Amino acid sequence: MADTHPTNVPAVQINGMNKFYGHFHALKNIHLTVHRGEKVVVCGPSGSGKSTMIRCINRLEEHNSGQITVLGTELNDDVASIDGIRREVGMVFQHFNLFPHMTVLENCVLAPMLVRKTPRAQAEAAAMRYLEKVRIPEQALKYPGQLSGGQQQRVAIARSLCMEPEILLFDEPTSALDPEMISEVLDVMVHLASEGRTMICVTHEMGFARRVADRVIFMDAGEIVEEADPETFFQSPSSDRTKQFLSQVLGH
Amino acid sequence: MNTLANSAAVAPPGRVQMLRKRYFPTPLQGLVSVVSAGLLALILWKLLNWAFLSAVFGADGSAADCRAAGGACWSVIANRWRIIFFGLYPYAEQWRSALACVAVVAMIVLSCIPSFWRPWRLAAVWIVGTAIYYILMKGGVLGLRYVGEEQWGGLALTLFIFVATCLIGFPLSIVLALLRRSNLPVISRGTGLLIDAVRSLPLLAILFAFAVVVPFMLPGWLQTGKLYRVVFGAGLFFAAYQAEIIRGGLQGVPRGQEEAAMALGIGYWHRVGKILLPQAMRNALPATINQFVIGFKETSLVIVVGFFEILASGNAAYGTGEWTFAYREVYAFIALIYFVFTYSLSRYGAYLERRMAISSR
Repeated sequence: MADTHPTNVPAVQINGMNKFYGHFHALKNIHLTVHRGEKVVVCGPSGSGKSTMIRCINRLEEHNSGQITVLGTELNDDVASIDGIRREVGMVFQHFNLFPHMTVLENCVLAPMLVRKTPRAQAEAAAMRYLEKVRIPEQALKYPGQLSGGQQQRVAIARSLCMEPEILLFDEPTSALDPEMISEVLDVMVHLASEGRTMICVTHEMGFARRVADRVIFMDAGEIVEEADPETFFQSPSSDRTKQFLSQVLGH
Repeated sequence: MNTLANSAAVAPPGRVQMLRKRYFPTPLQGLVSVVSAGLLALILWKLLNWAFLSAVFGADGSAADCRAAGGACWSVIANRWRIIFFGLYPYAEQWRSALACVAVVAMIVLSCIPSFWRPWRLAAVWIVGTAIYYILMKGGVLGLRYVGEEQWGGLALTLFIFVATCLIGFPLSIVLALLRRSNLPVISRGTGLLIDAVRSLPLLAILFAFAVVVPFMLPGWLQTGKLYRVVFGAGLFFAAYQAEIIRGGLQGVPRGQEEAAMALGIGYWHRVGKILLPQAMRNALPATINQFVIGFKETSLVIVVGFFEILASGNAAYGTGEWTFAYREVYAFIALIYFVFTYSLSRYGAYLERRMAISSR
């Protein structure tokens, strides 16, 4: 990891952030600090704003008020600083979003070569290393359309890793997968979590949250309702909304 | 015996059986098949007889010979092909026009080959090709006699107008399509208005405007030859339609593609060039080939502003006294030339679709 940012600042700091879609108040006065190396799981009912919140962190969505500071740089309209932050913040999407007209290997080397100006040989070597890490090196020369959903999502993870980001955002990475493929993706994520990278995961996988999260955040109706370590969160949640959500998710 | 009959029953139906099943399933349908086949044979025979058996070939066949033979009079082509290919270009210099055609066709073929799809290679091919065409056609340098644009004509002019229209229109269409999806309303609406305005005018009106009206509005130092203004007008028209085709292709690229590229820190131009346009062009390919074919055929409209492209030159080829009866042959010949170009284009489109399909399985 290229450590170009001061290590004494938090990975992500969100202060009084609000987001509107027209008149709809999607995120209400969000305060959140994520420290270096911390694993944070964000959960909550659908429409609660959890995806919107993490999409604000790499400015796929613009916030309307408040501050977001990522690795010490505040997000504003400065295109160059946004691109700089996006280089250090990887994102894995619900629908993978691999580039269908490129092979797996080309998907992985594209950004390092274009953005970091890494020479091709070096970028390909790194890509193969990360493809091995997600246990899919033998598919390097195939096109995304030839892979299963679970394989595509693992390639998408390898693609983000190729940029060697300090922070990894996961936006419901297993929600679009067939049930039998969920575990292969979660296994890779658990493995990544042991490596010290900052991770913020929006997911419904409560088992994953219990296993790797340093902190679980529960959101409902655009607000952070509860914030606790996994033990407290699952054993003795303080809010009724959390209790209700947990009984729905864990009930069967 | 018995086993033989059985094996015949389970064998796949033979060719005769297939034919019978397809064309003679009932007596009435059998009759229709026979009558249709007869009609087809008659038409083919008439055509064959006209085009070959009773036809007069060769440059020494005279108009009288043709009338006597009763078939096609290909002598008109043998005698007048130079007008069809080169128009009013000076007779002694027509080898230049022929070489220029070869240069343009070579340029088209080279830029169709995937390994030439690098910006600098394409630019090199186009600049060299256009320069060769221009120097050969216009002359005035390298000891070549000067020949003004008003003397260009025939196939050589048609190819020039087509290629120049595409070279102006295609890049312009990409620019327009990108401007149209700009986040700034002034730019996107303004571009939309321009595209709609151009599309709402007939091509004829645009050609007239650029040939006749525009010179009054341009300052002296911007006055160029009529041919270049007309080509620019045709390019603008092409771009307006092609821009909408590309916009459609861009709309077919899922939003997540651009988001993924943004999340990787890839900047706008690389997002457009490496992620959006390649996928948009794939979506837009059938309509794009269509637009190129239309563009090729619409070159014939420049006759209204006084240019003798291939169709107009064809009119001139049979229009002189002795050959006036032989218009069918001339038009058949020109139709064949159009067909060769447009059919090659559509086959090339099919090849591209197959090539792109490999990566979208």
